[in-house]
Amino acid sequence: MIRRIFPLISASCIILLSCIHAVQAEDEDKLEFSGFARVIMGYLDDKNAEYVEYDNSVSFDHQSLLGLQADYQFNQDFSVTGQVVGHTATQRASGLEWLYLTYKPNNSLQIKLGKQRVPFFNYSDSLDVGFAYPWLTLPQQFYDTAFFSTFEGVLANYEFSLDDWVISYEGYWGYFDDEFYSGSRTIDTKVTGLFGLSTTLVYKHLSLRASYNQGDVQLELPEATQLAELLDQFGFSNNANWLNPDGPLQFYQLSANYEDLDYFVRSEAVKIVGKSGLIPDVNSYYITAGYNFYPYTAYISYSTRDVEFRHIPNEIPYGVSDQLDVLAATYDFVLSQFLDEKTNGSKIGIRWDWRSNVALKAEVTLVRADSKVSNDSALQDLGNFDGRAVLYQLGIDWVF
Amino acid sequence: MAKYLILFIFSSLSFVYNASASEGIIVVANTADKSIKLNRQQVRNLFMGGAVPYELEAISLPSDNQTRVLFNTKVVGLTESRIQSYWAQMRFTGRKRAPKEMDSENLVLEYLKNNEGAVGYLPAGISVPDSLTVVYTIQ
Repeated sequence: MIRRIFPLISASCIILLSCIHAVQAEDEDKLEFSGFARVIMGYLDDKNAEYVEYDNSVSFDHQSLLGLQADYQFNQDFSVTGQVVGHTATQRASGLEWLYLTYKPNNSLQIKLGKQRVPFFNYSDSLDVGFAYPWLTLPQQFYDTAFFSTFEGVLANYEFSLDDWVISYEGYWGYFDDEFYSGSRTIDTKVTGLFGLSTTLVYKHLSLRASYNQGDVQLELPEATQLAELLDQFGFSNNANWLNPDGPLQFYQLSANYEDLDYFVRSEAVKIVGKSGLIPDVNSYYITAGYNFYPYTAYISYSTRDVEFRHIPNEIPYGVSDQLDVLAATYDFVLSQFLDEKTNGSKIGIRWDWRSNVALKAEVTLVRADSKVSNDSALQDLGNFDGRAVLYQLGIDWVF
Repeated sequence: MAKYLILFIFSSLSFVYNASASEGIIVVANTADKSIKLNRQQVRNLFMGGAVPYELEAISLPSDNQTRVLFNTKVVGLTESRIQSYWAQMRFTGRKRAPKEMDSENLVLEYLKNNEGAVGYLPAGISVPDSLTVVYTIQ
């Protein structure tokens, strides 16, 4: 049922937005266009690795993008919003990122229905709007973690103040059915029963956020499924179950931020629990401290990510028969493709707010791997990678 | 009028971004209830799109306006660039919209007079008509 309702809403939003030009002349201020753009140059000082798609040559086409948004206000309570983003990155699909109907009966309550970005973390729903954050590139060891970014469904937010506190609650529910890029692979993914709850407390210069997100993930990995079926026939059910890529995924997030005229500290931590063997447990966090000397902002940042697959022992005996040897070796080979990984990133950067809507940024990131690199994330080992690489970046972030 | 002229000359002469402590800010509202008083945190919430106990519409000044710079410094406690990046995040995630901006203090006063529920910040020296209420003052 839900699968039929939300595409219907999305389609209705498109029709509504496309009909708007007809009424535009009558009431121009009801329709608003806005947008954001990034032009990012990067160079990775390492021949043996790739990081956020950058390699050992200067390139502009990995993070540069253009986003356009249209908002139409029907009346005081209802509006519709569409946002399309064109990416230069090969690992990000260009197209419609947001398309939703908003009901806002008062200043406290807001309900959105349609296609939206999943608000897992503080910047999950504004990843592409570089102008919205101090870093040039978000701490990748943290933000590379969520592998699906949009959902179709409903999101509600309620906010109120209590003495000097501003308290807000947010909840969403929906599903995801699309493909995502994992390293060099594209994987068809379905996430059903996707929901999340979060609360944000703001007290003077301090803000705290805690969230919980959950979904039932189904990954299209035919090789793993075929091998699992085979193992099951031979009675190695534990190993077969481990290879089943379907299962629940849970995110626990905490964040604490402080900011005043001169300084800021931003931090977030997440624990991701994957119940199936092929979905790892991930622990990651970042902490950033910055100093404002208007119109400049300087910052240092550290982020780390620890991926653990909880491999179980190979039940298949070697040396019994040739057939079992092949099966055992295949199983070990598949396991070796799902590597535990420990990486971290340290960065230093500066943002210059050149105009009220244009920021220039420069950033240097040292990325380190304390283990073999799985090639499932932003960091790729091209062969003989020594575990250390430096990324130099310059960029312009613009909103209009 | 002379007062406005002096104020205008004053503000156009002051290139210094960090205003001195003697320049105050008042927050003025067009409300039927003249007894409404807001504290600093409530004013900050109001102009940053947060919830306040009253249904009020915040009206702001352009980013290069000196009164806005004072308001950012004394009340919001954030730099203009941080405020701009905050509104970019709010807008493109469909959460909140930045307050409507008027080009000058006089236009803010005009708007406040004509719109019930509107609230704006102004320099402390400005003369406020009886129909409007000062809901917050900071020196």
